[in-house]
Amino acid sequence: MTEQEDVKIFFSRQIEENMDSLYGTALRLAGSGADAEDLVAESVSKAWSAIGTLQDRERFRPWMFRILHNCFISNYRKQSVRPSESSYEEGNDEALAQLLNEQPDEFLIWWANPERQFFNSVLGEAIMAAMDTLPKALRTTILLINVEGLTYDEAAEALAVPPGTIRSRMKRGRTLLQKTLWQQARDAGLSTAPTRAGT
Amino acid sequence: MSKTKDAGHHQDIGCLEAIEAFYAYLDGELDDPQAIAEFEHHMNHCRSCYSRSEAERLLTDRIRDSAKTATPRELQDRLRKLMDEF
Repeated sequence: MTEQEDVKIFFSRQIEENMDSLYGTALRLAGSGADAEDLVAESVSKAWSAIGTLQDRERFRPWMFRILHNCFISNYRKQSVRPSESSYEEGNDEALAQLLNEQPDEFLIWWANPERQFFNSVLGEAIMAAMDTLPKALRTTILLINVEGLTYDEAAEALAVPPGTIRSRMKRGRTLLQKTLWQQARDAGLSTAPTRAGT
Repeated sequence: MSKTKDAGHHQDIGCLEAIEAFYAYLDGELDDPQAIAEFEHHMNHCRSCYSRSEAERLLTDRIRDSAKTATPRELQDRLRKLMDEF
């Protein structure tokens, strides 16, 4: 087997194994199935052209997600901004923990008594709808880590940001997601638990 | 919410610090043994933070289940054809 054949077999196997992950991530980025399919196809072409830059085969996933993300930024971002998507600027999040800690009593009561009923009643579609309201940077970070199982370092490599930014985005994104879901729960008339949160 | 030295050996890091470490811990990214021990100690003594972490675990599972998407057959065929041409 020639080196070229070996590389091609490796590449094809990786794409087959990661196809659902690439499509799922592309779908949440681009917002439509057709755009997601084009984005994945274009990313695979670019990845093959750049396969010589992959120095460590163990790092294929973050490398491939980085190409997907770059393709999206180059070609699809402008046309896929959703009306419900909030804006986001990377920044200092020192006050974030304080914000969480100062949630209203009602929120803390719910937190202290996570209602199984609430989680059982929140359909996957509702969670994904809440995810779609997050700024793209936060949504993509949560997807890569919580869905695709990338480590913080791998996600940092995929998104070309420092690991500290990934950590910050996770806190910010998950906090915003919680607040959105909590609002959904209240809008749906779900009750809070009867006891007060406490240490 | 207090920050005290426990009779056990771990300092109570307090709710604010626990919240700071929340996601890193749940995502398996907290690698300092002392930080892990302090976080777990706090979780064992703070019902509010423990409940939050349990809710976060549930939500993470839900996100993972909800976001999984199967590649459409058309795209599978398209990619295989594309790779055949490489």
